[in-house]
Order: sequence, then structure tokens, then C-alpha cells
Amino acid sequence: MKKNYSRLEASGGFFEITLLVNGTKREFRVKNGEFLLDALRRYGYKSVKKGCDTGDCGSCTVIVDGKPSLACLIPAFSAHGSAVTTVEGLGTMRAPHPLQTAFVEAGAVQCGFCIPGMILSAKALLDEVPDPSEEEIRKYLDGNLCRCTGYVKQIQAVKAAAKKKRGGKEA
Amino acid sequence: MNNIKYCSFPETPKAALAALLDRRAEAMAVAGGTLVAKTLPDSVTHFVGLKKLPYRHIVKRGGDLVIGALASFDDIDRSRLTRGWAGGVLSMAAARCSSQLIRNMATIGGNIARPHSFNIFPAVLEGLDAGLRIISRSGIRTVPFSAVYLPDFRLKPGRDCVILEIIIPGKTRNWLCRFEKFARTETSWEAYFSLFMAAGVKAGVVREARVAVGALSPKPFRALSAEKFLRGRALSSASAAEAALELERDLDQLRAGDFRKEAAAALFGRFISSLSGERPGVKR
Repeated sequence: MKKNYSRLEASGGFFEITLLVNGTKREFRVKNGEFLLDALRRYGYKSVKKGCDTGDCGSCTVIVDGKPSLACLIPAFSAHGSAVTTVEGLGTMRAPHPLQTAFVEAGAVQCGFCIPGMILSAKALLDEVPDPSEEEIRKYLDGNLCRCTGYVKQIQAVKAAAKKKRGGKEA
Repeated sequence: MNNIKYCSFPETPKAALAALLDRRAEAMAVAGGTLVAKTLPDSVTHFVGLKKLPYRHIVKRGGDLVIGALASFDDIDRSRLTRGWAGGVLSMAAARCSSQLIRNMATIGGNIARPHSFNIFPAVLEGLDAGLRIISRSGIRTVPFSAVYLPDFRLKPGRDCVILEIIIPGKTRNWLCRFEKFARTETSWEAYFSLFMAAGVKAGVVREARVAVGALSPKPFRALSAEKFLRGRALSSASAAEAALELERDLDQLRAGDFRKEAAAALFGRFISSLSGERPGVKR
């Protein structure tokens, strides 16, 4: 059959790929057995946490092409050309994202390990649904496990951030 | 995955097939990747990423419901078309798969191409008499979903053919359906069993019935005795209870544990009772 497709070729076990990380185009050199989670952490995006490494805990959540996804299940080379958002792209210490502020104000953070993933899932939810119900929030965050809290404060934080995003108006 | 030497992103079905056939046994197509990313065989050197194929649609075509193989579980969960088709059973099933993060990534095509007893969709598609549009060396054609489990179906989806679309026949549009997953927790992928139940009812009489059970065998199991029992029968709590016992007998073939049989029968009896508007209950 005629080869009418483009392809990447590994050289010495490494692929050269391009990602749009937090709006900035970056070149990555990734091992052929490496997952996006490890590649991002190796390149300095330490907010992406390594928890279970099997797609169960949600600590490695990043937004890939608009959808919260598990970086531990994405072969790094297969993400070539994708737009990736990590928490580093959301806010800074001086100018935090409204969700980050809401999580702090609600006391939703204890050890903090699950929070980057949870905030990215919540961001994607609020981008799609500006006034989510509690049921919608619970469903959307069901892949982000927290072992410190009972999820109550985090759900309150997402509700508060949604309200703030709507300019303080009730849904 | 350490042996991957090439990675391609074909944009058309023909290009995807060419990428697979170019490397024969060394190539594998991957869509969402949630089932295979961690378990790619060492023999695979060519990763064919399907993410650029334009097959994420959910549309009505010629009276049928057509779902692109790259539609994610989340797409199917939220689609108005799937929510309004066959009692929304496809959305119901999609929503019961694992976590939101998995539902964002996993595709219906991958759920079929990588057979696993815990997969959500096979029992539903078996019950809805779905068809698959595939491309292989001999071109594009439609095959019954159930054919992929037959020994004479020699093509391996994702290796020497690519699933393009899933076709849900128009006759199922107004079927009364329900999907149940019996598992340890809401987000557990490993279910004790999953159950697809459907009935076409006219004037209080069951004209068509389907019961398919997942997670108990490598391929979805059709409870044919329970289906046969229901066909032509008037809906009542008595017929619901008898149909439930019939399902228990069907499940004996799988040597399913007693608690599984009883739970499945209870859920089935409840479903049939809900159709008759009478109170559910399995009499023993």
C-alpha cells in the first residue's frame, strides 16, 4: 500500500516531539517508553504528580487538547502536536487563578498532592458548564482521588469559583 | 513500549490501514489508549495513533444512529442523540465506565477493538444488534457486531482492520432499555457483572426482548431463554418474576456465582416490573 501518512521515527530510542505547553511551543526529546507524565516532570512541570501511575488516582491530570486527561496513560511521543495545560499555566503566586484562590479560601487543601489535578479538572468543568450543580461537580471530579479530605471543601471551592466567575451571581 | 520505533498519525481510514499493513504484525492502532498504553506487546514497533481520524461524530443516518469509533465515553454520555435513543441506554452505559478522566480519553472503538470482559459497551452493542463499519484490505464494509467474536472472523481490529463507525439500527430507537453495572464502587472498572436489558412493548405485551450480560465471560452473553420466555408475554409482576428466574437458569451456563445470579435476576425482575408499572419482586 502507498505510504500516504506522516510519521515520527525514533533515533537511538528517542523521539523529538513538539508540544504547546501552557501556550508556549516547546521541543521535547522523549524516550520511546516514556509517558507524558514523566516527560513533563523531567522538563520542569512538577505540578504534574506521579501517584498510582495506572490511571486510577488522577494526580497526573493535565488538560490535553481541551480535555482533562491522565498523563500517566499517554505515551509521550503520541502527544506530538498537542496543546497541554498544567497548573503552572493557570496562575502564579502573585496572581493565582480564581480556582486556586477558592481552594485556599475554602480550606480545601491538606497535603496538596491531588490538588493540581483536581484544579485542572475543575477548570475544564467550569469552562464547559459555568454553573455546575453539585452532582455535576462530583461526577466531573470522580477521577481525582483525595486521601486527606472528604471532598466537601473542594466541592465548596469549585462552587465558590463558579460563582466568582459569574460575577458573584447565584446560579 | 520500549520497542516503538515509529509513530504515525494518519488522517484518513485508508492511510490508517496503510500504516498498519505497512508493518503487518509489528504495527498496532491505538485510539484513547486507556486499555493498551501500558500493555503494548514488545513485538509492536509501529504505533499508529488514530486521534486525527475524523470519526468522532454521533449522527442519525438513514434512520440509524451512527457513532464514530473515536467518540469518547464522555461524548456518548453527553450526546443528545444517544440520550434520546433506546431510553438513553448508551449514555447510561458510558456514564458508568470508570472515572471522568477515563471517560474523556477512552473511545467506543477501543472498547470493541481491545476485547476484555470488563468492557462496558460489548453487552450493550450485542443487545442492540449493532453493526460495525470497518476498513480492511478488501475495502469498507459493515459487519454485525456479534461477528467479531466468531472464530471465522479472521480480522483483528487495530491490527489488520480499523473500526470506523458503530451503527445502531433504527428499530431499537423506541426500545425500553436499561443498563446496570454491579461493582464494588461506582468507579470500579472491574464489575461483578453488567446487564443490558431491553424490551419492545406494544399494548402491554412484549414483542421483542434482549438480555445481554457482561463481565462474566470473555464475550457478552445473551440470555436467550429469558428473552424467549418474555416474547409474546403480557407484562405483569408474575411474568417479571418468572423471567428473572429464567435469567438465573441462563446464567448457570456461565457457572456464575450465586450472588451474581441472584443480583442479576433481581435487577432484571425490577426492570420488567417497571415496564408493567407493578411492584418489583422475585418470588422464590
